[in-house]
Amino acid sequence: MTEAVQRPIKSSEIDSKFKYEISKMHGGEKLMRCFQCGTCTSDCPIARFSDTYRPRQIIRMTQLGLKDRVLNSDTLWLCASCFTCTDRCPQDVEVASVIRVLRNLAAERGHVPQVFKEQCSSILESGYAYKIPELRLKKRETLGLPPLPKGNPESLGKTLRTVHFLKHVEKKGE
Amino acid sequence: MTEKKEPESRKAAEEVRIGVYVCHCGLNIAGSVDCAEVAKFAATLPHVVLAKDNRYTCSDQGQDQIKKDIKENRLNRVVVASCSPRLHEPTFRKTCEEAGLNKYLFEMANIREQCSWVHLYDKKEATEKAKDLVKVAAAKAALLEPAEEAEVPITRKALVIGGGVAGIQAALDLADTGYNVYLVEKEPSIGGMMARIDKTFPTMDCSICILAPKMSDVGHHPNIELLTNSEVTEVKGYIGNFHVKVLKKPRYVTKDCSACGECVKVCPIVVPNEFDVGLAIRHGIYTPFAQAVPSTYIIDMNVCLNKDGVVVCDRCMKACERQAVRYEMTPETADLEVGTIIVATGADVFDPTALPNYGYGKYENVITSLEFERLINAGGPSGGHLLRPSDKQIPKRVAFVQCVGSRSDKSGKLYCSNVCCMNTIKDSLLIKEHWPETEIYVFYVDIRAYGKGFEDLYKRARKAGVIFIRGLPAEIVEDKKNRSLWLLGENSLQNELYKIKVDMAVLSIGLEPRKDSELIQRLLTLSRTQDGFFMEAHPKLRPVDAATGGIFFAGCAEAPKDIKDSVTQASAAAARAGILMAKGKVTVEAITPIFYPEKCKVCGLCVKVCPYNAITLNKDLKRIELIEAACGGCGTCAAECPFGALTQKHFTDEQIIAQVDAVTENSPEKKIVAFCCNWCSYAAADFAGVSRMQYPPNVRIIRTMCSGRVAPKFVERAFARGAATVLVAGCHLGDCHYINANYQMQKRVERLQKKMEQSGLNKERLQLLWASAAEGERFASKIREMKTIVESVTSKEIEASQKVFEKALTGV
Repeated sequence: MTEAVQRPIKSSEIDSKFKYEISKMHGGEKLMRCFQCGTCTSDCPIARFSDTYRPRQIIRMTQLGLKDRVLNSDTLWLCASCFTCTDRCPQDVEVASVIRVLRNLAAERGHVPQVFKEQCSSILESGYAYKIPELRLKKRETLGLPPLPKGNPESLGKTLRTVHFLKHVEKKGE
Repeated sequence: MTEKKEPESRKAAEEVRIGVYVCHCGLNIAGSVDCAEVAKFAATLPHVVLAKDNRYTCSDQGQDQIKKDIKENRLNRVVVASCSPRLHEPTFRKTCEEAGLNKYLFEMANIREQCSWVHLYDKKEATEKAKDLVKVAAAKAALLEPAEEAEVPITRKALVIGGGVAGIQAALDLADTGYNVYLVEKEPSIGGMMARIDKTFPTMDCSICILAPKMSDVGHHPNIELLTNSEVTEVKGYIGNFHVKVLKKPRYVTKDCSACGECVKVCPIVVPNEFDVGLAIRHGIYTPFAQAVPSTYIIDMNVCLNKDGVVVCDRCMKACERQAVRYEMTPETADLEVGTIIVATGADVFDPTALPNYGYGKYENVITSLEFERLINAGGPSGGHLLRPSDKQIPKRVAFVQCVGSRSDKSGKLYCSNVCCMNTIKDSLLIKEHWPETEIYVFYVDIRAYGKGFEDLYKRARKAGVIFIRGLPAEIVEDKKNRSLWLLGENSLQNELYKIKVDMAVLSIGLEPRKDSELIQRLLTLSRTQDGFFMEAHPKLRPVDAATGGIFFAGCAEAPKDIKDSVTQASAAAARAGILMAKGKVTVEAITPIFYPEKCKVCGLCVKVCPYNAITLNKDLKRIELIEAACGGCGTCAAECPFGALTQKHFTDEQIIAQVDAVTENSPEKKIVAFCCNWCSYAAADFAGVSRMQYPPNVRIIRTMCSGRVAPKFVERAFARGAATVLVAGCHLGDCHYINANYQMQKRVERLQKKMEQSGLNKERLQLLWASAAEGERFASKIREMKTIVESVTSKEIEASQKVFEKALTGV
């Protein structure tokens, strides 16, 4: 059972305009078509191994206007963006895209999980999503493999700064 | 046919005497319009000899007053300024008739729905608008002409297309009423989908047991001629007088067949049986099922060894004692003359191979609900034993998956198929009846148990232990070892994922329009909704009538239905057809075209635009021929004719131009000249009034039957006389009351907009609007939007448009 089920919804939590905001954003246009059949969750490879991640529920919370709940939730960041849900949805709701839209909004609030932030700074430092241990680099050398190509973190950093990406990632959570 | 010599000899000598009645409608109109002032103004209009205002014109006193005035003051035109003509035009037309005045000499000004109710807070402007509206009505009234409604005789015979339960019921009802009926069925036997089903919901009656007596009634009824294995190939004519060609494919077995079945025993050909959805086999010579009507056997020439016309095998012929087998039979064409047609062509089922995640066609134990019906049916291939296909064992655990092919934008159809929920509940109970230990899971999105007795059945199923789980499985995966199936999905009510193993899964497939609907649509000039089912003339009040006169719908041809609804609709359709045939004749409203043959250049444009095929080009005589009875009265031919050889009765060119002129007489630079069609956009404006939606008062609506009647010259005339903006409004594309006439309007308006653009005019000044009768707000907001356009139009722009369109002022 997820936290959302345990905690009753208060009317003060509901932002009735939230769904319209999302519907206007690219990717969220078909949000309102969802009638909760559950196909997205049934198909979801993450939901199979998670007790909390339910794309159907994220869509429902968005429709209901539980803005804070959905944007502050950690489960939002569990989506692997495999697009199976989008592919199978009978109502043609772009579930994965709605989640992307929600993530963007969450990031604007500074709600990005630590692990994502670390990944970002790793990319910015080395050009790699995770730090490759010295040991492995040495091993490559002994095996006669060519050194790994160097990333170009400078220009990447420039680009990300121009699109205000870094501003959000560097922001501290509320 | 209405052909006139020109100059048309209207009684020129007769003086036009118009009486105007301005209705207060209590305070509905008088609340925001000064009715006395409007009446005073009306008295000053040309030809008006009398103008009165009264509290309720539609009351008996009001009507008596009109009758009295017609007699005493020799009125020969009557104008009532009150509510919408959609409401009271018939009332006042009758009043006029009772006073001896032809009903087509009556005209209405809509000062309630389109004036007082939409300008509640501006009495001055509303009164000015009301005056204008009365002026427009009087201008048209002066040019009105008396008209007689044509009468068309109706052939007292009916054609029913489709021999499912709906067609059977309709044919029996009509035949019992005493009319001759032709029932045409494509398959070798009537019975349709119902014959294949095991039990019916919610009463669990044996389907074929209740259908078979009806089928045999059809076979024996003296008034029914049954044409099986036949197809309609051509339909010509119009209401009351259809000429139908039916192709009768040969059975290769004559009526002498006694259905003894000796021939089947010797036939060497074996193919899957279509009736059993391919689950069983049949021979080359066969009868589809035991209760088939007619019971005569049939040879499937596509598979018979003699298919190439050479007799290679004559075993069945030798086996037949009555010598009923005839390989030499050829197709025949039957020519039928009928007055009414009932379309009962039914529906197809969804093919679930389109959904690969359910594995239908890949996994043997995934079957459709129709296959299930045959498996559980005592007359089916397994003798009523539910055997799973892979090992012919009775399954211990069965899953039903709902909404397969329904309620889906991507895979299947958007609509709910209506019957699958209850069908599954019934099926689950059937299993429980025979094998109570079976575990049954029903995976659904919403259970729709809306009908009489449906909820009880649903309750019974739950009581019997059927497990209902909300949430469709994402995937069905087969266990390679024992061919069982894993269903994976989310139980959305408990927010848990499930993984359930069953022995067999039944896909509850939806219904879809028949693949040959398009052919039927073309043959009968019908229209279809977005779903692909045939569209009724009115969804609430004429639910079994087609928009084309004399044609009715029964059963799933119109929308997915269960047996009860199909039968109800079939009886309704039979009654509707019966009404027409009982009358023996039909009157056609006098809004058909007037044809001036001497102006006609036989270009054929009118033939192309007529939605009803009511205008034909006689190539031999090189002339255009009108069939008045087939005409729907849209007037699009009159708008299309470049030579003025056609105009529409009661909506003539000169009448509409007189209306345009009246609208644009005073301060046209502030006005929106709107052309609205009677059925949708004019009704939308009425609806805006009924809902008291407020919008700017500078719009003047001119009503035509269809937006297709709006000729470019009317629009040009409005601009030539200095109108700021023009609006042409019609039904949504695909919803046209006259099938597709509004597409012509779209073409014309777009052409005009292009012309305006090329001449350096702001094409925004000519607007197009699609509004259904329920879209009052859409209409109101369009007027608000256009008001800002009106305000932005400069006097220079108006002068420029007057110059561009100045030709429209001449040559009326």
